[in-house]
Amino acid sequence: MLARFSEVYQSLSPGLRELRLTLYLLNRNALQRASLIVIAFLVVVAILAPWIAPYPSHAFSATNPQDKLLPPSSRYLMGTDELGRDLFSRIIFGTRISLQTALVAVGLALLIGVPLGAVAGGLGGWVDELIMRITDVFLSFPPLLLAIAIAAFLGPSLGNAMLAIAISWWPWYTRIIRGQAVSVRERQFVRAALAIGAPMSRIIFRHILPNTMAPVIVQASMDLGGVILTIAALSFLGLGAQPPTPEWGLLISTSRTYFLNAWWYSTFPGIAIFVTVLAFNLIGDGIREVLDPRTRKF
Amino acid sequence: MKKLFVLIAILVMAGILLVGCGGTAATPTQAALKFAVYAINSEPLTSWDPAIEYSNGIHVHNNMYEQLLRYDAIEKKIVPLLAESYEVSADGQTWTFKLRQGVKFQNGDPFTAEDVKFSIERTKQLGAGASYIWSAVEAINVLDPQTVEFKLSYKAPLDLIASTGYAAFIYSRKCVKEDNTWIEEAKGCGTGPYMLKSAKWGEEVILEKFAEYWGGWQENSFDTVVFRKVAEPATRRQVIETGEATITVELTYTDIEALKNNPKVKVYVEPSFQNLIAMFNTQKPPLDNVDLRRALSYAFPYEQVIKTAIGGYGRQSYGMVPYGMWGWSDQLPRYTYDLDRAREHLQKAGYGEGGLKLLLVYTAGNEAEKSAAELYKSELAKLNIDLEIRGMPWDSQWELAKGPAENRQDIFMMYWWPDMPSPYSMLYSTFHSEEEPLFNLSYYKNPRFDQLIDEANELTSTDRAKAEQMFIEAQRILLEDAVALFIYDRQDVWVTVANLQGFRFNPAYPTVVFFHQLTME
Repeated sequence: MLARFSEVYQSLSPGLRELRLTLYLLNRNALQRASLIVIAFLVVVAILAPWIAPYPSHAFSATNPQDKLLPPSSRYLMGTDELGRDLFSRIIFGTRISLQTALVAVGLALLIGVPLGAVAGGLGGWVDELIMRITDVFLSFPPLLLAIAIAAFLGPSLGNAMLAIAISWWPWYTRIIRGQAVSVRERQFVRAALAIGAPMSRIIFRHILPNTMAPVIVQASMDLGGVILTIAALSFLGLGAQPPTPEWGLLISTSRTYFLNAWWYSTFPGIAIFVTVLAFNLIGDGIREVLDPRTRKF
Repeated sequence: MKKLFVLIAILVMAGILLVGCGGTAATPTQAALKFAVYAINSEPLTSWDPAIEYSNGIHVHNNMYEQLLRYDAIEKKIVPLLAESYEVSADGQTWTFKLRQGVKFQNGDPFTAEDVKFSIERTKQLGAGASYIWSAVEAINVLDPQTVEFKLSYKAPLDLIASTGYAAFIYSRKCVKEDNTWIEEAKGCGTGPYMLKSAKWGEEVILEKFAEYWGGWQENSFDTVVFRKVAEPATRRQVIETGEATITVELTYTDIEALKNNPKVKVYVEPSFQNLIAMFNTQKPPLDNVDLRRALSYAFPYEQVIKTAIGGYGRQSYGMVPYGMWGWSDQLPRYTYDLDRAREHLQKAGYGEGGLKLLLVYTAGNEAEKSAAELYKSELAKLNIDLEIRGMPWDSQWELAKGPAENRQDIFMMYWWPDMPSPYSMLYSTFHSEEEPLFNLSYYKNPRFDQLIDEANELTSTDRAKAEQMFIEAQRILLEDAVALFIYDRQDVWVTVANLQGFRFNPAYPTVVFFHQLTME
């Protein structure tokens, strides 16, 4: 067991070293350092939400109508919504929801996309052809439109929104992995494994796959921002989170009705989405820059 | 040669641009005063055929076409329109209408009894939209050019039917094709004060004044009326503030509060026949249990919802018939918000500990329904009942309710309004037994209730007082069985520009503005 573990560690350790270097390089750029700090802050906020939020119950079913639509004050830092709930508390819990759903959606997309890509690239032939044509079909739809169609078909809920995003997102990962796998397949160690008669499944998942993950990780980290935005869009359209879930997109959708009288209601959730997506996009750009030998600067 | 051509082309283009700019800058001038814009929240109409339209088009068609009679829901009386007077036989099955003389269609043809016969028979035969209102009519006889007689197969209130806001219009046969379908965008088809000028499907409809209208014209009446879709409530507030629109409705109450202090606009708070109800699924456990339904009726925060969700522009309902309509009665019992009584009934129902999970569906995009649902959720949480609320587009919400019984919702929230100014129209579609569910989304089946309202409907024209008592009795049954939450009777808040005169809303014709009555100061 232990031997197995160290074996895995050995195979990963170049990757870990690479990761440390990447973080170091990212940290040198002021903009990207700021994004890293913002993301770390958001993660902390998400984890500690029940302790940070002044009115944790306002994120769930509680209502407080006598304080409806109050402007920001010392009591309600970001004002209140149409049912008197503290917007600050709801946005804090919204962080948790956005990060969670984005991770789950991207995770699901990886779960579908990565094995398919590895199989396509590893086996080649008609399997490759078939899988790639399927991805072509999916990629020919605008991603948001496809997600809307799927979410509308499955029925409105946060779970279905995540599923819809995963279904419209996986082909990107399949393509990246497949491209990598095709080149890795020609490498000596794969040929060696073939020569000693290792079964194809073992070759694909033990030898090829671990060597194709780096670009996918980059892509996935960049996608987190886009996925958060898409979930907010679906909720805005009524196809994602359902009230009283304090999802940012849903908050903005509701606030639309009140925005001429309650500027704070759309502004703060808007800022939350803006900052989060910007941080993820910047960090994604940074990672790409650092990992690409042509743009990497020591 | 080619260069010269390009040069000329450029010069021509530039010329067109300049002329174009000059033209648009000069247009908004004198005509502005006689020009009205009604900013509405969705498509101006869904069908050009006045026999078929059963939706938004009510506000356009009621300015182009006329019925035999009109019902004044404020004064609660019938007003003559195309018919000057009418008589009903003692058995209530023969109705004779004396028509107005000298009325012309907008295309110049005279209006006669034959047109009445043609229109109603065609509407009935098409069987679309609200045409069911004529189901009692067996035959229509033209006695002379100014007199028409309706023979009914059973007693029905034909005066109310003939004044309905849908499917009761009289129109010219020239607008109907050989195959009985309507000529799209046909002009001059009605006898009403305005006729169709042009339209952009789904966006706007422009009507112009019919100079020879029998009702005559005032000096400051509008020559042109535009019905324009302005979907966002915040945008509707902006267009009424800038004066781009003359009249609008369906604003959020926070916007209304702000507009009340604006001297450039006038705000009218009018009763409407629209109410918010939430129907319990009486066929599916756990809500097939009447005590549980009573408990849920006591747990609803009525006052709070009226205050918060609609800013106080409404009143708690007594039963299904809205305030202002005959058949409304404050003698009916009503559930009030009382969690202790709710707990008592929960005990009786065998759910003392709560521990229930219920699904409430509402129409996505309706903020008042959403707020009401959220407030209800927070009350039910106190009883340890987990209410899942789901906002769905109307079509999916309705499909779910009509679909397989085991998947259906527990509570269906919606707005309801009558086709006809009669309690029957409030009670029939919603609670009368149905083979296949259509709008009886409580899936309620009670023969005693059915019989009571059917009989009351037959009595409507001959013995209104008795009919009214029976309708009230029928609602008492609904309340005892707690088949639905009767939440509030809504008020409509209309906002007009400050110098508009003569506005008076008639709740029997929801969302309709009768532009003929209006003038600009």
